[in-house]
Amino acid sequence: MLGFLVGEALRDLRRAGRVAVSAVVLITLSLAALGSFWLVSSNLGRAVAKWRDRVRIVVYLKREPPGGDVAALLERVRVMPGVAGVVFIGKADALRALKQVLGKDAGVVDQLPVNPLPASLEVTPSAAAATPEGARELLARLAVLPEADEVAGSADWVERFSHWQRLLTTIGLGVGAVLAAAAILTVTTATTLILHARRHETEIMRLVGASELTIRLPVLLQGMMQGLAGATLALGALLVTYSVVAPRLEPLVSLTLGLSQLVFFTPVGVVALLGAGTLLGGLGGWLARAAREP
Amino acid sequence: MIELHRVSKVYSVGPVKVPALREVSFQIGKGEFVVLTGASGAGKTTLLRLLYRDDLPSEGDVEVLGQGLMQMRRSQVAALRRSIGVVFQDAKLLPVRTVYENVAFVLRVLGTPRREITARAFDALRAVGLSARAQAYPAQLSQGEAQRAALARAIVRRPPLLLADEPTGNLDDAMAAEIVDVLKDIGAGGTTIVLATHQARLAAALRRRTLTLEGGRVMKDEG
Ligand SMILES: Nc1ncnc2c1ncn2[C@@H]1O[C@H](COP(=O)(O)OP(=O)(O)OP(=O)(O)O)[C@@H](O)[C@H]1O
Ligand SMILES: [Mg+2]
Repeated sequence: MLGFLVGEALRDLRRAGRVAVSAVVLITLSLAALGSFWLVSSNLGRAVAKWRDRVRIVVYLKREPPGGDVAALLERVRVMPGVAGVVFIGKADALRALKQVLGKDAGVVDQLPVNPLPASLEVTPSAAAATPEGARELLARLAVLPEADEVAGSADWVERFSHWQRLLTTIGLGVGAVLAAAAILTVTTATTLILHARRHETEIMRLVGASELTIRLPVLLQGMMQGLAGATLALGALLVTYSVVAPRLEPLVSLTLGLSQLVFFTPVGVVALLGAGTLLGGLGGWLARAAREP
Repeated sequence: MIELHRVSKVYSVGPVKVPALREVSFQIGKGEFVVLTGASGAGKTTLLRLLYRDDLPSEGDVEVLGQGLMQMRRSQVAALRRSIGVVFQDAKLLPVRTVYENVAFVLRVLGTPRREITARAFDALRAVGLSARAQAYPAQLSQGEAQRAALARAIVRRPPLLLADEPTGNLDDAMAAEIVDVLKDIGAGGTTIVLATHQARLAAALRRRTLTLEGGRVMKDEG
């Protein structure tokens, strides 16, 4: 029976010919647009998340506290709202870090008469505080510490970037939705043609007592097939583009965004895309049917 | 097998009421071959359509194969039609499918197991003498052959009831005689047949029970 239903659906697609082909092409376009925006946006999202993790606020201390006071100071900072973690960096640690950065030029540091670097606290904000507002509030709280000399750091730039990412996602959804609507309409047109071409079959099926499901399923199936074909093509096009573009873009992206690699869809994402295509096509088929039977 | 009790049918065409059947009552027993005759417009097609529940009477009761047809769900209508074969004046073959595929279509639609389909389709084609033309397309058939293909499709599920509405209407006498012979064969196998025709000569030549309609009334029931 399934073989029969699928066979009828395929026969119908062949009958709809060019209209079915353009429906498939439109589904491909809409899903490729949605998919590529989704890919770009999810990779940018990863960058934003990474940067958010890396937001640090540094509290430079007036003087290095005596050994016994460090633990107490850390504890006072740790319990502040919006603080996820805090590390003490003593003057000596700071100097060592500087030497590491300087590498072979580290010798100049040894020439210094005294260690000029201040001791500091490196504060990691909690996820909630890694927003511009949160970071500003935390900054203010840290600035009133009696030990604090100067406070530095902000999350503004991450947020500006995240804003762009959201904007891009919205544009992508908008473009995808418009194309998807066009795709549904085209599937509906193709299906209307098919219903017309099928009217003799439908009449005979009713006459010989076929179940309503048997009469309707081929029409729904051909719509879903158009959708699935479009989604598969879109996925293929995206995969080819990804495998050509990603290796070329990764060095640049790693430098600018700090992402070592660009990711493609997860298996769940692939299934979602194919499912979305099938749904679009099925919807188009169903709409044509519904329009004919008030 | 078939029982009509004071059945009337009035078509409404806008404000105009067209009476097609008036107080028709009769019974047809299992295995009977009944000819339904009468002038054009007498109500033959209307009557047959009530029997396979293509339409409902305006008044009265219709019972077919032991079932009252007045209140039926869509699935029950489908089930009823699986027990009724119908042929029309135009063969209504699917033009893009071969004769064999047209006959097999019914079996496939109704979910017959694949391995049975070929044998059963050819049985039906043999019964109407058309197995040699199985691979022809409807456009390549004579009208007589097309009508026989339609008959094969109607009997492929061996329905207990066969309704034929002017199956010889488009045919010359020789071809009409062929169709009638096939119908007689089918009837001899135990199938109940109702054959509607306005051709009085054909009806007379059949020498079977004949119901004559006139203006929607049964005027004669003889033979
Ligand atoms: N769908 C319809 N709508 C309105 N009137 C109809 C309809 N079908 C049939 N009629 C009318 O009902 C009457 C009976 O028609 P019917 O088709 O049953 O006659 P018939 O005996 O089959 O005629 P023929 O020999 O020409 O096929 C006619 O007056 C016809 O005009
Ligand atoms: Mg008629």
